[in-house]
Amino acid sequence: MSDLTLVRPKKTVAQRILGVFSSSIVNIVLLIVAVFWLVPTVGLFITSLRTAGDIAATGWWTVFTAPAQLTVENYTNLLSNTTITGSFLNTIVIAVPTTILVVMIGAIAAYGFAFLQFPGRDWLLIVVIILLAVPLQVALIPLARLFGAIGIFGSVLGVILFHTAFGLPFAIFLLRNFFTQVPTELLEAARIDGAGDWRIFFRVILPLGLPAIASLAIFQFLWTWNDMLVALIFTNSESQPLTVAIQSQLRQYGANLDVLSTGAFVSMIVPLIVFFAFQRYFVQALLAGSQK
Amino acid sequence: MAHRRRQRVVFSLAAIAATGLVVSGCAGGGGGGGSSSAPSGEFAGQTLNVVAAWSGAEQKNFELVLKKFEDDTGAKVNYTSFGDNGPTYIQGQLEGGTPPNIALTGQPALLQSLAAQGDLIPVSDEVKKVVEANYSQSWIDLGSADDQLYGVWFKASNKSTMWYNSDIYDEAGATVPSDWDGFMEQLQLVQDSGFSGISVGADVGWPLTDWFENVYLRTAGGEMYDKLTNHEIPWTDPSVTRALDVMAQLWSSDVLQPGGAQRSFGDAVTEVFGADPKAGTVYEGDFVAGVITTDGNSVVGENALFYDFPAIDGSAPAVVGGGDVAIAFVDDAATMALMKYLASPESAEIWIPEGGLTSPNKAVDSSVYPDAISRQIAEALTSAETFRFDMSDLTPSAFGGTPGQGFWQEMISFYENPSDVAGTQQRLEAAAAAAY
Amino acid sequence: MTDTATARTTPSPGRRATAPSPGRARLRRGAIIASFLLPALVVLGALVVYPIVFTVIRSFYDQGGQNFAGWDNYVTMFTNDTTFTAIRNNIMWVIVAPASCTILGLIFAVLLEKLRWKTAFKLIIFMPMAISMLAAGVIFRGMFQESPNLGVVNAALVGINNIFSDSADYPGARPRDGFGIVEDRGVIASADTIAPGGTQDFPLTGIRATSLPDDAAQAIPAANASDTQITGTVFLDVLRGGGGTDGEIEPGKRGLPGIRVDAVAADGSIHGYATTGAGGDFVIDGLAVGAQYTVALPASNFDEGFQGVSWLSASFINGVVILSYIWIWAGFAMVMIASGLSAMDRSLQEASRIDGANEWQVFTRITAPLLSPVLIVVFVTLIINVLKIFDLVYVIPPGASKPAANVIAVEMWTVSFGGGANQGLGSALAILLLVLVLPSMIINVRRFREDRSR
Repeated sequence: MSDLTLVRPKKTVAQRILGVFSSSIVNIVLLIVAVFWLVPTVGLFITSLRTAGDIAATGWWTVFTAPAQLTVENYTNLLSNTTITGSFLNTIVIAVPTTILVVMIGAIAAYGFAFLQFPGRDWLLIVVIILLAVPLQVALIPLARLFGAIGIFGSVLGVILFHTAFGLPFAIFLLRNFFTQVPTELLEAARIDGAGDWRIFFRVILPLGLPAIASLAIFQFLWTWNDMLVALIFTNSESQPLTVAIQSQLRQYGANLDVLSTGAFVSMIVPLIVFFAFQRYFVQALLAGSQK
Repeated sequence: MAHRRRQRVVFSLAAIAATGLVVSGCAGGGGGGGSSSAPSGEFAGQTLNVVAAWSGAEQKNFELVLKKFEDDTGAKVNYTSFGDNGPTYIQGQLEGGTPPNIALTGQPALLQSLAAQGDLIPVSDEVKKVVEANYSQSWIDLGSADDQLYGVWFKASNKSTMWYNSDIYDEAGATVPSDWDGFMEQLQLVQDSGFSGISVGADVGWPLTDWFENVYLRTAGGEMYDKLTNHEIPWTDPSVTRALDVMAQLWSSDVLQPGGAQRSFGDAVTEVFGADPKAGTVYEGDFVAGVITTDGNSVVGENALFYDFPAIDGSAPAVVGGGDVAIAFVDDAATMALMKYLASPESAEIWIPEGGLTSPNKAVDSSVYPDAISRQIAEALTSAETFRFDMSDLTPSAFGGTPGQGFWQEMISFYENPSDVAGTQQRLEAAAAAAY
Repeated sequence: MTDTATARTTPSPGRRATAPSPGRARLRRGAIIASFLLPALVVLGALVVYPIVFTVIRSFYDQGGQNFAGWDNYVTMFTNDTTFTAIRNNIMWVIVAPASCTILGLIFAVLLEKLRWKTAFKLIIFMPMAISMLAAGVIFRGMFQESPNLGVVNAALVGINNIFSDSADYPGARPRDGFGIVEDRGVIASADTIAPGGTQDFPLTGIRATSLPDDAAQAIPAANASDTQITGTVFLDVLRGGGGTDGEIEPGKRGLPGIRVDAVAADGSIHGYATTGAGGDFVIDGLAVGAQYTVALPASNFDEGFQGVSWLSASFINGVVILSYIWIWAGFAMVMIASGLSAMDRSLQEASRIDGANEWQVFTRITAPLLSPVLIVVFVTLIINVLKIFDLVYVIPPGASKPAANVIAVEMWTVSFGGGANQGLGSALAILLLVLVLPSMIINVRRFREDRSR
């Protein structure tokens, strides 16, 4: 732009009031939304602090008038259960490599679809995105046979590969769309400097794409962490993750809300930590990136 | 600076990925190492995998049973619970080529289909001798397919027990009935005194099928029951009409606690035995005792008692039962030894005193049952004149074992709409015809 | 508008002076393309495409997998009632859920800029994504259950209702059959009419002895009525511990105080009323001599009152399940859109604000269009996700409502794994699912074409 100093017209009093007004309305509205949003989770948490008998007899809101019924016995039972604690490590060993693989393979493929020209590229991309629609139940039997044949059935590696494959379509879809937003001037500048595609990828695209990559990582980690179906079939007692371990503790007859609610919270802690950590990381990366 | 940091991040991420893959590769390699705890024994160094639906307290007790085998033979036995997902889990493991050594399942239909597929190993002659000595013919037949014996019945359940809260019955002046009319009268007494006569959990469907089986066994007799199980008579048969009419009498009366269609079986038990009982009676099998004990508000044997499912039209004492059968997938000496162990009374006698196991094994000493109630249950089971296995577990799973369709779903519809007997029969017949 | 076209690798000046031969260059280009794309394509091919091919082939075979069945499975599928319900439900899901999630996510993402407590808000909205679908299903099932004692939603509704209306004294009471009183639409009344001077007793059942008010005393037989009065006793016709004679006032049976008793004339008007005393006895006075009256206990004495809505019944179940989906996935939309917003260059908005545009105009003319790539990704992902929906629909509906809530993925599971093991039919259903995705791909194809033409 030219070097005219940009002068912002002063806000009128009316506009100022409107500004404040709408800000506090927003606060109130979002506060109400947040409270309602929390009710189910809070309910589940309180349920996990009650005994099975209490859960079946009265609603969880009664703890506010009768707090004596709160107990941590569900948690101590679950956490002293070696099946459960043993499965924790398995869950990490499954979720972390899957997330990393999906991000790495997905990012480079997304770069290819975004910036490299070859015949049929767009149609290939559409096929990849259609794969998003494949429900994983479809692959259970064929891949069980395949993995059995090559000897990795029942191992953590099999589960990692399964989840990686099913996470890639979304990763490619998301990152490709994000990468195409990168201003072409940056790419042109890099090419002028003689950079080849790999260097452009690492030096230009990856840093700029961090918000999207961070989001992708959070989601992929979450989805892998919470999966039960694939793990149920593809792991055995040695390699089973937390979700399957909790499932195996459900009583055949009778209510299981105490086990499920406690299991849900125990299982939720790590993903929430991941979310927090990544949130902060990509805000930092953002601030660094926006200085350009 | 930022560049170097990024490089470090990328490098460390790659390192974690690599480590992850290596660790997983190692972990995936074999199922537990080969070393066993016992220094010597016939099968020292071998590992067996056993799967069943039991978790929590039942798992602990079964593991005690397995421990004795471990101590005696030096083998290591791993137990895994598959929760609710038995058939899916077993099928998955078969597809992947790593089936367990032994699985315990509650569905004879699964035994039949796996045997037909050739996935099961028939028991060895040694095991066969033990089974023939210790079990009645019904159990032997239930464990066989095509005249080969595949299964050893380890756990049985009596599904003809009507549980009641004796505090509520006493309050209402109700007593143990001996037949269906008396049963309805007692429920009315309970209803009059301000409690619902009976609570039913019709949410999933299988408790309703158990109702039907008990009623049908009493109104039509054992032979007709078998014919219906094998679909030799259609579901539109008049004997089915009679049974459904009897059930309709209960489903449409006001002694039934409202809200049953959305109530789970566990909640129905709580309605009778929980902290704030609202109904006097609940029907299901002996496993109700376990649910009552977990809830903790009533005590089995004190105010939580049961009586036999009432006779209808003058029927003789009859029991509809269920159970869990052990089947083998691997043909080796250790597996067969474990099967033999499960067929002998010693294995059952380890679990029985802990509570929660009824054994179909005739050779078990019934004095080891921990209390009068469990003994009563076991004796009702073993001494019933007419004993039949739960029909829904004998029919093809698509009809009798699947939530959302077939027998289970039609019983739910009938519960909601008890006046439509003919329509229910037709739909049942259609579902059965598709499944058999 | 910034140029969002895909960057083309145009040969730029300043490359190596000595260009390699065209053949080598092409090989090199091929190697580069392969290095970027091959890992993904190999993994996808082996682990996703192969199962699809397997499924397509399998769908042409019968249940056991041995015999070729041609189009049989597809025919079965389409002539089946449950499949139609499933498809119809999936369509309803596709129309309602992705749009709701995206719009909510957009509103949240934009509004949360104004908050000081934005991370807390983000965490709260996002937290449901961290809960497994199974747990979320269990939560919603519990929240919306019928009983106001156990389900939060009905508890709240009943609680609010109770603030505004009185609850009955004796909910659930019923008349003892065969003693001249009947129940009709909540009102317990004498079967025949009686004239003043007569007595009408009301032996009732269905009330717990422990629920009786403290002042309920031993039932008192009614006094003799004069010829302008009707008297009687309303009492609990149940002895604790059983026994006794039905319909008779005996020691141990308590009267029901506080019940309003009406004397209703033939034309329906109430000529007199009374309230029962501690012994359950009442005297209605001021009646016309010789007239015939029905003695009635109004329904308000016994009405159980509003007990909440049956949310999980077949009529509402889809709404509940979709609501649970939105609760979980609005957080997804919000996080994605927020990250898109944060990556956006603010200068355009600043410039337009300076030019005098108000917030709404800034949003609709600048922000939203710039966000459209992210919005499209979110929307398409949600549509496809919703077509596959399984866990929530499997867990939340009770048995009676399952047929009404059925969706294709659940139907596929029930058919393939639920005992019948009809994988042929299950495979056909899976292919149906894939085919249903294609319409939503049209959006994408158009977008790619547009991108290209820029």
